[in-house]
Amino acid sequence: MPYYEKSEDWLHQSALLLQARPQTTRVTTSYSLRPAIRPSKAEKLAAKEARRAKESTINSKSTNSTTSKTSTTPAASTTEEPPKDATAAAQKPPRGHLVLKTFDPHSGVCLKYKTSKAAEVGRLIQMLGQLGRRMAALPVDEAKEASAAQVQAQGGDVVMGDAAEEGTAAAGSGTATPAAGGASTPAATGAGGAGGGQGKKKKKGKR
Amino acid sequence: MGHLTHGEFFSKLTELFDYRKNQDHGTINLVQKRLSYNTTTTTDKTDPLADLNPSTSLPVLIRATNAKGKDRRKEKVKLSTVVEPADLEAFYGRYADVCKKGMGALKPRDRTKRKKQSRKKKPAGVGAGGTSMMAIP
Repeated sequence: MPYYEKSEDWLHQSALLLQARPQTTRVTTSYSLRPAIRPSKAEKLAAKEARRAKESTINSKSTNSTTSKTSTTPAASTTEEPPKDATAAAQKPPRGHLVLKTFDPHSGVCLKYKTSKAAEVGRLIQMLGQLGRRMAALPVDEAKEASAAQVQAQGGDVVMGDAAEEGTAAAGSGTATPAAGGASTPAATGAGGAGGGQGKKKKKGKR
Repeated sequence: MGHLTHGEFFSKLTELFDYRKNQDHGTINLVQKRLSYNTTTTTDKTDPLADLNPSTSLPVLIRATNAKGKDRRKEKVKLSTVVEPADLEAFYGRYADVCKKGMGALKPRDRTKRKKQSRKKKPAGVGAGGTSMMAIP
């Protein structure tokens, strides 16, 4: 099954599934860690090294005297490799991600949502709580939930988009407002340019 | 295996998360479902849709494992607890706290992206500013 883009969609569909099959549906939250540098890459590098070493040993087999040296050097290089990876891994903490899955074994329906943002955890657990209420067959005031979901939709995920756009908006306003100020002030066109400059300086100060 | 009390469950769950913090890989699985094992209220034979509208509210079963497979049965940690309907809100409050603290490897809300964006925009803006600055004197 594909993942849902928004957690609200996942919640909505999960709630519907839970309503249809309250007895068998289960919600799994899977939190998994993965090293920042994937072992596959490191392994690939190691494999490359090994291949090179093999080739070199094959090449050097024609000259019998160097075989011992070449056999020692690849070993040395391989011993050097892991510490590099280890230091890189130490620099970059392991990545984690969270997968929410609603599964009903009877109908085989599986709904998923995946995220890697820590900011979402609280909201997602809250959603689990809402689903838990449904599981417990407690009365759910749907209007409240729907409104909450809407608020979340407006104030939660969409805000993330807004936040991303905020930079552009701020940049736009930063350039636009000083120019307007320059036009209104009697300090004429030169001041307008200066105002723009000041605006930019202010922005620098903010950062 | 018996179910734990909420306090025990949370303390063990934090242990589980802490253990995971010291590693660079691995998974923790949390499952929740309606507890329907020993309930006598449902009578499926008379009414196939009896479970849709149960007369009384039912407890919720919460499980947590460290996702170890059969070949590592000895390392497997299995926790479970039963939440009564009345305790749901209190339970999820604590649950959220524990999970927030435990899931430390998720991306924090970072502002570096915005900075990068503004930096990208800066050169153009600075260029314009430079011309205006040139014009001022």
